[in-house]
Amino acid sequence: MGYKTSWFKGIFPALVTPFDANNRLDETAYRRLIQHLLPDVNGLVPSGTTGEFSYLSAKERIRTIEIAVEEAGDRVPVAAGTGATSTKEAIELTEAAKSVGASAALVVAPYYLKPNFNEVYDHFRALDKIGLPLILYNLPQCAGTHFRWWTAEGMLLDLENVIGIKDTSGDMAFFAALMEKVRDKVSIFVGHDEVALAAFSMGADGAILASANLIPDVWQRIISAVQSNDLESAREDQQLIQKLVRIVTRTAGPQAVKQGLTAMGLPMGDARYPIMPGGGFKREDFEELRLQLETTGVDKIHKREITYSINGVDYPTLTFALPDTPREIAGWDLRVGEGFAGPPFEELAHVDLLIGKVKGPVGRAIDTSMAGWGSERGLRLMRQRPQVLLVPTVTLRTAKAKRLFYDHAARGVEHAIDQSIQDGFLPETILDEIAIIANVFVHPSASIAMRVFGNNAKATRHAIRKAIENRPSVSEIVTEKDSARHPFRYSP
Amino acid sequence: MSSPTWLEGVFPALVTPFERADESLDESAFRHLIQFCLPACDGLVTGGTTGEFHTLSRQERKRLVEIAVGEAEGKPVIAGSGASGTTEAIDIAIDAQDAGASALLVVTPYFLHPSDKGVYQHYSQIAARVDLPIILYNIPQVVDRVLPRPVVEDLADIDNVVAIKDSSGDLTYTMEILEFVGDRIQVLIGHDEVVLPALAGGAAGMILASAQIYPEVWQAVKQFVNEGNLTAARNAQRQVQKLSRIFCRHGGGVAVKAALNAMGVRVGRPRAPLKAVGGALSHENRAEIRLELEKIGKIEPKPSDFAYPSGDLADRFSDLNVDAEMIESHLMKVGSGQSGKDINQVQIDIIAGAKSGPLGDAYAVQMTYPIHGREALAAILEPALTIRPATLIMPSLPQRDLRQANMIYGPVQLAISRAIANALADGEITRDDVDNQVMIASVTVHPKALDRHDIYLSALDAATQALQMVTSAVVGDLRTQEVA
Repeated sequence: MGYKTSWFKGIFPALVTPFDANNRLDETAYRRLIQHLLPDVNGLVPSGTTGEFSYLSAKERIRTIEIAVEEAGDRVPVAAGTGATSTKEAIELTEAAKSVGASAALVVAPYYLKPNFNEVYDHFRALDKIGLPLILYNLPQCAGTHFRWWTAEGMLLDLENVIGIKDTSGDMAFFAALMEKVRDKVSIFVGHDEVALAAFSMGADGAILASANLIPDVWQRIISAVQSNDLESAREDQQLIQKLVRIVTRTAGPQAVKQGLTAMGLPMGDARYPIMPGGGFKREDFEELRLQLETTGVDKIHKREITYSINGVDYPTLTFALPDTPREIAGWDLRVGEGFAGPPFEELAHVDLLIGKVKGPVGRAIDTSMAGWGSERGLRLMRQRPQVLLVPTVTLRTAKAKRLFYDHAARGVEHAIDQSIQDGFLPETILDEIAIIANVFVHPSASIAMRVFGNNAKATRHAIRKAIENRPSVSEIVTEKDSARHPFRYSP
Repeated sequence: MSSPTWLEGVFPALVTPFERADESLDESAFRHLIQFCLPACDGLVTGGTTGEFHTLSRQERKRLVEIAVGEAEGKPVIAGSGASGTTEAIDIAIDAQDAGASALLVVTPYFLHPSDKGVYQHYSQIAARVDLPIILYNIPQVVDRVLPRPVVEDLADIDNVVAIKDSSGDLTYTMEILEFVGDRIQVLIGHDEVVLPALAGGAAGMILASAQIYPEVWQAVKQFVNEGNLTAARNAQRQVQKLSRIFCRHGGGVAVKAALNAMGVRVGRPRAPLKAVGGALSHENRAEIRLELEKIGKIEPKPSDFAYPSGDLADRFSDLNVDAEMIESHLMKVGSGQSGKDINQVQIDIIAGAKSGPLGDAYAVQMTYPIHGREALAAILEPALTIRPATLIMPSLPQRDLRQANMIYGPVQLAISRAIANALADGEITRDDVDNQVMIASVTVHPKALDRHDIYLSALDAATQALQMVTSAVVGDLRTQEVA
């Protein structure tokens, strides 16, 4: 029967697998990531779902495990992802993991074809004979098979070398049944970042998480607070990161984690195709993830000095720049930024933003329009520092459309500008020098005022940053030009 | 009871018209609707899913049957008599019998999820209390459960269970039902998108939302299938495929009401919380319905006088306060391209210039100038993937409705952006241009344009031609650049 070890507990990051420009395993970046994480983790998981195991060759998978074992030394254990769709391949990988020194194998249920549970059981039984400690892995979102408690219980207690289960389903009723059946006999790990606190409070032994690549220290705070019965602190911390982990779990996980680490100054490259930048992890998700990593208490992206050069005068500012943000922001005739935020569809926000000198095209257009058609066409000069002109993208025809636009979308734009002043993207010192035109779209079917506000706040904040940082880059445009999915290109 | 042969026909699932002021039943509109569609139909269906039965009172449901029987000129009336609970369903069934219905259409019990045994009891208890033929009704889209085939097998043994209406659109289910009960009861197709394959597979007739709009098309599909003329049947089905898709997937009865109203058959709005438009039926799809109704001759197209811009290219940007002299003195570049035939013809005129010059001013001014129907939009490959150099797209003519606008703000917007991205990839547009230039594209699409794919291809070609002129333009030679 299975057993519980002393070491399978705590926070384990599901390591991403970095690739270089030639799409090969980037060993240097990978070692650097592990060294970065080691102080805050209780173990490592190479070659897991977040590590894109399904896009790695067997050789690459074994190499990522081998490196993790080398880097971990005797500091923490390594639970190697060795799942595969056939029993034969899973056996070969698990044997290889054993021979390179992994402490355990984390094995996902066979996927694609969805075997019956008796077939799944025999799959794990065959792996059990290798002798390496086994961790079952329930991931119905990808594997298509959701363990039943009785299947899990059977495998956990019948087999000799099973030391635990990782449940990534997020199905807390299932998790509770697991606790009821096998707690104290094997280790129970949660793999779903959004419900980790709930799982810890039910008695989970630890967590294997994608977001533990980004915020292992916060996870340590949460699990130790729960274990010392300080639920209040644990809740505060979980809420601090709830949005961050929702972005990571609900979008293409590996790409989200990689772009997050890259933004933190640990370049990880992109995921392998068909996962791609601007795909499941959308550009607007990146903007939000970036903001979450800047949050006080998370503190993963720090401010640094950037110089805004306007009319020959240099204005230094401290802001949350990315590694590739230019150190000098020059050229203030016409800076263009676009922001997009949703869901839901009806309340989505789309902002076309222009930033420029007061004495340039932007400032002049504000003067011209307000002296001419401004009031007739529903334009509103919202504020003076900086000068901001709010323009409805489409003519507002109903009282409801006007209310949502001038009360709620406008408040969102205002909020974004205030925040951008605070975070240094619109430094106080340049507010008299620049003017902004915000062309804002509110869908005629919009209803939920709170979402109109929230989405316009997000979209405007994104647009400001993109205008300042000249994004998207030409290489983003060229990389995605053929695969771009314009939502209105197709018939209903 | 053997299955009545009259079920082998085309039955409209009638909408229920309401008064605008108080949402009460609009009886005269209902009578008018029946008179409108009856000639090409084999009977009527009242108070079904399309008829918003879930918001109707028991009295209203009975009243609909009475009116329909009165107006039906002897054709059979099938009463939708489903309910969530069995007692209520029985009451409604008895009402319908009293009002003169010829058969009952009883939906699978919904909301709470009864067991298979409970579903069997529901139908068998109703069947025991009335003398009317009963039609089972599988519509998992709204019931959230499939009427299980083994239950259908058992129900088919009840004497007055004579048919099943399958609105699932799941042909594997339809075929399974035909296999098991096809010899005992009739199978009626209830999903407009798959009428042809269901009939070809053995379905006997149909109850359809769209049968109050184009019953003659369904009569033709049925007749062609019966004659074994699949080619003609396919052509008939295909001409209403998009409309049927919109009715089935984007609004149901709401979309049918929008279509009837557009055709001048006034049926009012749906009951709240459903919205006439802007909820399940989007503004875009309502515009699409109008266009499709024009295509099949159900409504008259609006007249349009329309011409593609012509004459000197340099004179076509006067809306931007840019004239030929400024183009020369500020070293701007212009280009034009045209592609496609007839209603698929697209013309794109592009002007490029420095951000710091008059075109930068024009760009900023256009962003402050929402002309209704000619709103300028930044070129994007997709939301949050703006093209660079910054490019504005402006329709040269006012867009009359969202569907017309969507030809530009979808296919054309993508086509221009992709043409620019291609020029970036080929190095025809340089990094220096990206930082220092802006472009404005004036776009002309035929007001009757229909096909987004054709429009996209025309626009990509036209934009590519225009950009080639822009990137190879010889400054000072503009007045000779005329479009043939």
